Amino acid sequence: MAAADSKRKTNKRKAVEEEAPAPAPSVFSHDVGLEMHSEDEGGDADSEGAEDDGEVDEWPEIDTRSDSEGEDSGNAEASEDEEEIEGEEDEDDEDDEDGDEDSESEANTEDDELHVFPKAKTVISDITGQPKRVYPEIEPEYDSDSSTEDTPNRVGNIPMHWYDDLPHVGYDINGKKVLRPARGDELDKFLETVEDPTAWTSAFDKKAQMDKPLTPEELDLIRRLRENEVPDANYDPYEPTVEWFTGKGKEEIMPLSAAPEPKRRWVPSKWEKQKVMKIVRAIRQGRIVPNKPKTASTQSQFYAIWNEEPSNQPAPLPAPKPRLPTHAESYNPPEEYLPTEEERKKWEETDKEDRERDFLPQKHSALRLVPAYGQFIQERFSRQLDLYLAPRIQRVRLQIDPNSLIPKLPSPSSLKPFPVYKALQVPHDRQRVRALGVSPDGAWAVTGDESGIVRLWEVLVGREVKRWTFPGRIGAVEWCPRTDVCFFAVGVEEQLKFIIPPNLPAAVLTATQSVLSPAQLPPPPATPSPVKWVSTAAAASTSDSTILTVDLPTSSGLPKQIVWHRKGDYLATVSGTEGQGGVWIHQLSRRHSQAPFKKVKGSVQQVLFHPTKPYFFVATQRYVRMYNLAEQKLLKTLTPGCRWISSMDVHPSGDHLIVGSYDRKLCWFDLELSDRPYKILRYHTRALRSVHFHPTYPLFASSSDDGTIQVFHARVYNDLMTNPLIVPLKILRGHAVRDGLGVLHVRWCARQPWLVSAGADGEVAVWCS
Amino acid sequence: MASVSGEHSHPVVFTTQTAYPFPSQKFMIPISWRRYQLSQLVNKALSLPKPVPFDFLIRGELLRGTLAEWCQEKGIGEEETLEIEYFESVMPPQKMASLPQEDWVSAVSCQHPGHVVTASYDGCVRLFDYSQKLLHTSAAHTAPITSLCVIPSSSTSPDSLLLATASHDLTARLISLSPPSSPEVEVTADANSSQRATSQTTASLHLHTAPLSSIASDAVGSHLLTASWDSLIGLWDTSVPATDEVPEDATDRAARKRRKVDDAASRPRRKAPLTVLKSHTARVSRAVFTPGGSAEAVSCGLDSTVRCWDVERGLCTNTITASAKPFLDLALTHSGTGALAASSDRTVSLYDLRGSATSVTHAGASLAHPATPSCLAVAPDAGGGEHQLLTGAYDGAVRLWDLRSVKAAVASFKVFEGRAPGEGRKVLGVDWARGVVGVGGEGGVEVWRVGSGQGERAFPS
Repeated sequence: MAAADSKRKTNKRKAVEEEAPAPAPSVFSHDVGLEMHSEDEGGDADSEGAEDDGEVDEWPEIDTRSDSEGEDSGNAEASEDEEEIEGEEDEDDEDDEDGDEDSESEANTEDDELHVFPKAKTVISDITGQPKRVYPEIEPEYDSDSSTEDTPNRVGNIPMHWYDDLPHVGYDINGKKVLRPARGDELDKFLETVEDPTAWTSAFDKKAQMDKPLTPEELDLIRRLRENEVPDANYDPYEPTVEWFTGKGKEEIMPLSAAPEPKRRWVPSKWEKQKVMKIVRAIRQGRIVPNKPKTASTQSQFYAIWNEEPSNQPAPLPAPKPRLPTHAESYNPPEEYLPTEEERKKWEETDKEDRERDFLPQKHSALRLVPAYGQFIQERFSRQLDLYLAPRIQRVRLQIDPNSLIPKLPSPSSLKPFPVYKALQVPHDRQRVRALGVSPDGAWAVTGDESGIVRLWEVLVGREVKRWTFPGRIGAVEWCPRTDVCFFAVGVEEQLKFIIPPNLPAAVLTATQSVLSPAQLPPPPATPSPVKWVSTAAAASTSDSTILTVDLPTSSGLPKQIVWHRKGDYLATVSGTEGQGGVWIHQLSRRHSQAPFKKVKGSVQQVLFHPTKPYFFVATQRYVRMYNLAEQKLLKTLTPGCRWISSMDVHPSGDHLIVGSYDRKLCWFDLELSDRPYKILRYHTRALRSVHFHPTYPLFASSSDDGTIQVFHARVYNDLMTNPLIVPLKILRGHAVRDGLGVLHVRWCARQPWLVSAGADGEVAVWCS
Repeated sequence: MASVSGEHSHPVVFTTQTAYPFPSQKFMIPISWRRYQLSQLVNKALSLPKPVPFDFLIRGELLRGTLAEWCQEKGIGEEETLEIEYFESVMPPQKMASLPQEDWVSAVSCQHPGHVVTASYDGCVRLFDYSQKLLHTSAAHTAPITSLCVIPSSSTSPDSLLLATASHDLTARLISLSPPSSPEVEVTADANSSQRATSQTTASLHLHTAPLSSIASDAVGSHLLTASWDSLIGLWDTSVPATDEVPEDATDRAARKRRKVDDAASRPRRKAPLTVLKSHTARVSRAVFTPGGSAEAVSCGLDSTVRCWDVERGLCTNTITASAKPFLDLALTHSGTGALAASSDRTVSLYDLRGSATSVTHAGASLAHPATPSCLAVAPDAGGGEHQLLTGAYDGAVRLWDLRSVKAAVASFKVFEGRAPGEGRKVLGVDWARGVVGVGGEGGVEVWRVGSGQGERAFPS
């Protein structure tokens, strides 16, 4: 210890060192080191502790060196030198550098006292002439070995409690025991602290097992730590700024790059503007609400939490439970559960999926004889599959009243009157009645049967008033719709016959005769027609014979349809032959006939005049074509979608058309709406034969080969938005089906909701409301 | 009455409007009784010298089965007192004669005592007597005759009979017919009966431009009403004018030129109507005078209206509009306040004519038929009474109704039973006078006896 103190004095220590006793730093350093390593790195390495000791011992030496080599003046000189020398002389570079380095190193040592290595000097070697680095000589004096000034106890960094029971506390370098210093009791300690004024600045040294006073450096360090100062006393946080790159003379005059400054430095960004404008626009349009009201604010601060409706979401369904075992699954089931030999064989033969149960009951006399369950894995697996694959959805059964799906139609009883019963029946000698006509006033009916007899009878009584006999079948009978004259046309083989019914008032009779057999014949048409008009003189005519005969071209066949224009001047006939010449339009006033179509695709089934416009409907097998007769062009083609059209009729308003077909369908066309049917009614079980609209009542009827007549209510509205209302009203049964033919023709009575129907069974019936 | 023991009985009070009153006290009647026992009870209680059959009405319904059945059907408890009205029952109709004819008979009249006049669709008026003998055939029209009436003559001469016929040929005619005066002579001189029964068409009534549907005369025989399909009703008097009141048509003139031999005297005079009643919008099916006289008339038509007319002024005084009931025939009750109208919806409805024109009229009673009722006739005063009527329908049945019991007909009988199944049996006209009912239709004429059993004139069977 004494040696260390002397050494320090030789190293020109400052006042600090002089004040402090020599052994204090070493003791303190030991103390510190012990404390650190005992706690943290106690088991690390003993050698480290030795090195630490060395380092700790070194730094006072560095201090001394830095102190010794020129104090503040050196520093100032170096800086001055640097300023003066820079850029002036090259030859003194090395020296300057040396000096610089020195000053720097000195500064460094001042900053960082841990720089323990000696500074090397670069000198020109005498031998090589090259600069070489020369380190200062290490003086092999006593002070250079740190081990000499170490503590006498050389046990190292060990837990000192190992020596607690021993009289010594360690060994010195010579292996002599370092004896434990004598320690007084607590009272002595207390007295010591009272007596010794430095007692409160001393700390217990474990190695020495005694109190050692702290050095002033250590005390200063403690103070700094306690006051949250920088622990290093030499650290100056307020050092003057060293302007390395700024300051006078160091301004950057030249730019780093010669490129001109880009435009983007001062032009506002176009794309940013676009982005911003997009947002602005969105805000203006309200797509983005800038200050969106918070939903939380709408809810009042305090509210009853139970007021909310309980969730109507059904609770998640629990997974189905596995079936509980029954007697058959028992290890010792009753005898009746055991399968017989046949059952066992049958079970084995059936497929796994088809088995009623997936095991066979087995009997074991004791539970310990039951083998392991072979299907365990499979069963667990299938159970897991069941749970995983079966979605637990509660299927709500739809409670739909099937009656609510039926369209809301008014009840038929509210749509009276319509025909409901057969009032009377007119026998026709069991001949098929294909032709039927009802007079425009609804009082008379004319029927023509296949034996060539035309009967005129009263609708309400059914009494036959007169009959005419023609050779061959009667194809069609139709009354003239005019009210000032009264006659009807009969279609027989290749001829049209016009007949005046009896018992007419004189005025009507004269008018009729003048229409059918005028005194002055109109001039013959320019183009000769193959149709000849032959009439008997008006005076000689009676109701017994025909007054006018129109001879259709030969081999034109039987006219199967006669249809009158509304005004009663034109009538169109459809003859039975295929191809051209089937359709003729006759004009009474000019006594002229013409074929409107040169060529018709397909065989014409029916023709019709439009009730209000100069239109003409022609039904071929599959299509209904609508022609404008005045302009002579095709207006539209209606596609009913049925295979063979049998009949059609146009609504008195002229905007609707019904088409009956042999394939049991009845198609309702809204002519304003579409070329496709507005509605297709399939109520008949056999082919339709005839359809007819009532001229005044909102009714229409269809007759079929199934022997029934169906009566429908068909209300048509004037506004185009409301669809026609079609209500099935009544099925009239009463005609017999003979040879597969049922009701061949139906006609309504004007002014009354009465229906006249002609059947293949030779009966003509009148149906009344 | 003997088998009362152990049987339930029902409290009953009897009422009547007939000449056989019954003490109004409560009777306990066994519920197994039928009409026959009840009728016996009334007869014995009143100790009538001659048994009179009665019919019994319980709450407007004729008793047809036992009392128990009726109570069970109506759900009447045993304690409830029933009020039973009784009246002399109608004897089941008896068929007196069947006169088949070739053509349909559209109208029959039994108004002339001892004779039946028929009009048929071949345009002939035929006169039969009660011994089913054809006395006379008069070809009155060339077209079917639709209606016929016997005009009651003020001079009660039995030998001249004035008929009025309406036809499809747009005219009605007055025919004076002279039946043989006494049946005794007729029996002896059978062969030349046609000489004694002569007829002459005295006048033809020209107004209508469509077939006529009916003709009717008033009670005294001074006026006629014709109804036609052209919605007009013509009012005529029955006097035969001296000269033609209506010029001839061209066709008629031409036809007459051909028959130059026609005697001008025998040719019927052309007569014009006194008034034309216009208000109907469709065919008028029937127009009749009210029983009071010739001042008022009632008509019905296919336009579903029943109209009352002030005949002298030619105005429609009341219109009863039914919905969708084209009326086919009309008859007035004896009081003249009720109109019975048969419509093509298979009902015969009773309308009260006293209601004001504005009020909506409902049918008082509605008699439902299984077929179209084409004709009807109310009972004559002497016959059965106030409440009975006959209807003929297209199903060949004539039904006797009592207006107090409208649920079902009191009696019905089928006519034209002899016809083949395929042929129709439509009844087109009925007439009821003095217990004799004439029924005309498809099968000809049949004469039945309907009434209370005391037909004052015995019909030789």
